[in-house]
Amino acid sequence: MEQLVLTILTLISLVLTVQAAHALYLMIYTWDRPEAGDRARVPDRRATPALSFTAILPARHEEEVIQHTIARAASADYPPHLVQILVVCSADDVGTIEQAQAQVNRLRAMGRTNVEVVVFDDGPINKPHGLNTALRYATNDVVAIFDAEDEVQPQLFDIVNTIMSEEDVGCVQAGVQLMNFQSNWYSTFNVLEYFFWFRSRLHYHAKNGAIPLGGNTVFFKRTLIERLGGWDESNLTEDADIGLRLSSMGEKVRVVYDDRYVTKEETPPTLQSFIKQRTRWCQGFMQTLGKGTWKLMPTRRQRFLAWYTLAFPHVQAMLGVYLPVALLSAFVLTVPVPIAMLSWLPVLMLGAHFVMSVVGLYEFTGAHGLKATPGTVVKMAITWFPYQMVLSYAAARALWRQVKGERNWEKTAHVGAHRTAAETAELTNVG
Amino acid sequence: MSADVLNRPETHKGTGAQKPPQTRGWPLIVVSLVIGLATHGWNMFRYPLYLTDEGIYMEQAWSVLREAKLSPYTYFYDHAPFGWLTIAGWVAILPGGFNAFGNAINTGRVLMLIVHLVSVFLLYEIIRRFTGSKAGAFLAAFVFNVSPLGVYYQRQVLLDNLMMLWILLGLYLLARKDGRIVTVMGAGLCFGLALVTKENALFILPGCAYLLHRAIKSQPNRRFGVSFWWFAALAPVVGYLLFAQIKNELFPQNFNFNLAAATPGDHVSLLYTVWWQLHRNSNSSNGLSFTTLLQASWLFKDRYLLIAGTAVTVLGLFAGRRNKRLRGPMLACALMGVGYGFYLTRSALLDFYIAPMVPLFALNLGMFFGWLTRRTKPAGAAVLVACLLVPVVVMPGGFMVKYNTKGELEFSDAYRLPLTRLQEQQVAWIKANVPPDAKLIIDDDIWVALHDNDPPYKNAHPHYKATSDPDVRDKVFASSWQNVDYVVMSNKMRDALERGGETWIIEAIDQHGETVWQATRGDVSLQIIKIGGTS
Repeated sequence: MEQLVLTILTLISLVLTVQAAHALYLMIYTWDRPEAGDRARVPDRRATPALSFTAILPARHEEEVIQHTIARAASADYPPHLVQILVVCSADDVGTIEQAQAQVNRLRAMGRTNVEVVVFDDGPINKPHGLNTALRYATNDVVAIFDAEDEVQPQLFDIVNTIMSEEDVGCVQAGVQLMNFQSNWYSTFNVLEYFFWFRSRLHYHAKNGAIPLGGNTVFFKRTLIERLGGWDESNLTEDADIGLRLSSMGEKVRVVYDDRYVTKEETPPTLQSFIKQRTRWCQGFMQTLGKGTWKLMPTRRQRFLAWYTLAFPHVQAMLGVYLPVALLSAFVLTVPVPIAMLSWLPVLMLGAHFVMSVVGLYEFTGAHGLKATPGTVVKMAITWFPYQMVLSYAAARALWRQVKGERNWEKTAHVGAHRTAAETAELTNVG
Repeated sequence: MSADVLNRPETHKGTGAQKPPQTRGWPLIVVSLVIGLATHGWNMFRYPLYLTDEGIYMEQAWSVLREAKLSPYTYFYDHAPFGWLTIAGWVAILPGGFNAFGNAINTGRVLMLIVHLVSVFLLYEIIRRFTGSKAGAFLAAFVFNVSPLGVYYQRQVLLDNLMMLWILLGLYLLARKDGRIVTVMGAGLCFGLALVTKENALFILPGCAYLLHRAIKSQPNRRFGVSFWWFAALAPVVGYLLFAQIKNELFPQNFNFNLAAATPGDHVSLLYTVWWQLHRNSNSSNGLSFTTLLQASWLFKDRYLLIAGTAVTVLGLFAGRRNKRLRGPMLACALMGVGYGFYLTRSALLDFYIAPMVPLFALNLGMFFGWLTRRTKPAGAAVLVACLLVPVVVMPGGFMVKYNTKGELEFSDAYRLPLTRLQEQQVAWIKANVPPDAKLIIDDDIWVALHDNDPPYKNAHPHYKATSDPDVRDKVFASSWQNVDYVVMSNKMRDALERGGETWIIEAIDQHGETVWQATRGDVSLQIIKIGGTS
C-alpha cells in the first residue's frame, strides 16, 4: 500500500511538473522565439482600405458603458462607408436598448448612418445567439466581434484590412488587454493572464493550428463564418469553440498583437462576478471538450494541443484539492528523500510561475505607460496562492455545474474601470 | 508589406564594427580536439598518481550506485553532491561498471578526458563567438590542451573539472546570442549545476553575472532572461538546501554555530559546514597557503601559463575600453579569473585547487589575443599564434619535452612515467595476501578497488575516517592499534597523518608496525604495514 501511495505521489509530481513547465513555456513563447514575436507584429505599412467591416457589439445590461463603446467603434480611423456597426440586444434589455439608440440617434444627427441597433426576442438569451442574429444583418466583407465594454482601437480596421488583403487568412485575432491591474486584490493576476494569453500563448496555438479564439476583437471573413454555420448557441465559450472548428477545417488564423493596438477591457468588478466569469469559461471548455470538435483536427499534434487546452479546467479543479494536501503532506508525510525531493518539483514550477508573473507585470506596465511598484509585487506575493485557489474553486464549480447539467449563461458585469474619466467624457459625447 | 518581413528586433546584433565570422573553423576544432585527446589521453592511466580526492569521489559515486547513499560514511556536506552524482551516472551506463577501464579511478579519468574534450570545444567556441578570432580561439584551446598544469590536474577525477565544464557550457550558451530566453535560462542552470558540483564556482559568479548583463542587455526579452538566469542558477542550490532540510540537517543542533565545538551537535549540518569552511584559513590543518603551493608546486609545473595568464587577466580588466563589442566579454572573463584568483589567495588550499585557473587563464588569453589582433589579418594572427606556441612546445623544459639526468631529450613526465603501477601492485598484494575480513586503514585512492571486490574488504577505511568519523573511529577501530591489522600507506600519507593530528594511527605504525610490502620509484613511496606483528 505504501509503495502504491509513493508511486502515485511520484507520478503526480512528474505529470504536474511537465504540465507546468509546458504551460510556463507557452506564457513566454513569443518572448522566447524572436521570430514568433515578429510574426505577431502589426504591419508598419498599411494597405489602401478595401475590405468592408461589420462590427457586432453584443450587449446585455450594459447601460453604463454601451454609449462609449459605440462612439469608440464609430470613430475608427477607417472610411465610414466601409464600416457597419450592429449593436445587438435582447428585447427585454430595455435600458441598454435605450442608451444604445440614443447614441445611434446622436450619430445619425451627425450624418453617420452606419450604426444600427438589432433587437431579438427569441431565445436563448446569450452572446452566441445575439451574434447569430446580428450575422443575418451583416452586409460587409468582414465580421468583427467586440464586447460592450471594449475600448476599440481606432486603427484596428485598417490593420486587419492590411493583413487580410496581403495574407491568405480568413480570420484575425487581435489583442485584448485588461488594464485595471490595481483595482482589487485579484486584478493584477487577472490582467496578467490576459497579457500572457494574447501576447504569447495564442501565437503558439495559431502556429500549431489549434486555437481557441478570444471572445472579441476577432475578425472573420463573412463567407467563412457563414460556411461554419455561425456560433454554437449552446456553448458557454462559443469563441473557443468556433476557433477550434476553424482549426479543424484547416483554416489559418492570424494572431496579431501590438501593445499599441490592443482592445482594452476591465477585470470583473467583484470577486463573485470574477468567479462566475471564470466558471463560465471553464464550463465552456468542458463543453467543447465533450463536443469533440478537437477530434476532427487533421494531425495528432493539433488534437493533443486542443485536448490539453480544453482539459485543463479539469486539472485546475483537481489542483484545488491537491495543492493544500501536497503542502500539508510535505510537512507531515515521511517519504524517502528522493521522492520528497521529486514532490517539490511542482513547487519549483510554482516559483517559476510567480517570477514570470512579476516580470510580466513590469513588461505589461512598461508597454502601456503604467507603473508597477514593489508594493504591487508584495501584494502579488501575498495574493498569489489565494488567487490560485479561487481559480481552482471556479473550475470545480464549473465541473459541478457541468455534472448537474446547469448550462445557463452567468453574465459578467462591467463598470468601465479600464477607462479614464477624460476618455469617457470625450467619447460619450461623440456625435 | 506583411509582418513577416518586418525588421527583427536587434537581438542578434553586436554593437561594434567587427562581427564574428560565420564559419566555425571546423578544421581548427578537430585539430584542437585531436591534440586534447593526445595530451590528456596518452598515459593518463599511468600518470599522475591516483590522488586521495580522486578516490573519495569514486567511492562516493560507488555509494550512490551500490548503496543509494551520497557517501559510504556520514555525509557531512563538505561538498555538494552533483559532481559524484554525475560520475555515478557515467559509471552506470558503462557495461563494465567501475572496472570498465581497469579500475575505478581509470574509469573516472576517462570521464575527465571526455569532459576535457567538451571543454576544449566550448572554450574555442566561446572565444570565437565573442571575439570573432579563430586564431585566438585556437591559441586558447591549444594552451588548455598542452599546459602541464592542465594535463596534470585535468586528468584527475576532480570536481573542479566538472565544475568548469558547467561554467564553460553556461558561457557558451550566453555566447550563442540567439535571443532566446530558454538559452539564457540554460546558462543559468549550468551555473547552478556548477555551484552544486563545487561551491568554489561562487567566486566566478561576479564575472558570469556581468557577462549575462552585457550579453542580453539589448534583447527585448532581457527582463525574462535575467530573471530566469538567476532563477535557474538558484534552483539547484535551493534543491541542495531542501535536501538537507528534508533530512533535518540544514541547521546545527540548537542552531549552535560555535566552531570551537568539535561537531555541530548530534547530527551533521549543511550550514554549520559552510560556516566552518568560511572560517578556514591557510593556518589550519586542512590545507596549505597560496604562496606555499605557488612556489612548491604550481610554478614548477607550468610557470608560462601562470605568468602569461595572470598578465592577460589583469590587462583584460582595462583593455578594449573603446571596443563596445569586446569590452563586456573581456571584462567578464577577467573578472572570472580575478574572482577565482581572489579565492585562491584567501583560502586554505589543496594542490589541485588551481585546476579551474587553467581554463580561466586560457579563456583570458584567447580573449586578449582576439582583441589584440582585431585589426590583424587572419594569416597574420595565425603566424603570431605559431610564434607564441612553437617555442614553449619544442623548448626543453617547456610544455612537452625536457632533458633527463643523462642530458637526453625526452617527453615530459606526463607522457612517460608509469606511476600508478605502484598503486596497482599495492592493491594486488593486498588481494593476494590479506584476508577480506581484515581491518585496514587505507587511503581513499584504493577504496573502491577493495570495496568493489568479491568478496569486499568491508573493514578497509580511510585514515581520516578512522580518526574523525565516530562510526569508524569508535565502532570499528576504537582508536586502538589492537583493532588494526594493516595500514596501507599511500604516497605522502605519513605527512597527511601528521598534518591531521591522527596520532593514534602514527603510534600504531611506529610502535606496533612492520613493513610487509614496499615499492619506491623516484620520490614516490608506497608501503603496507602490518600492525601487531612486532608486539
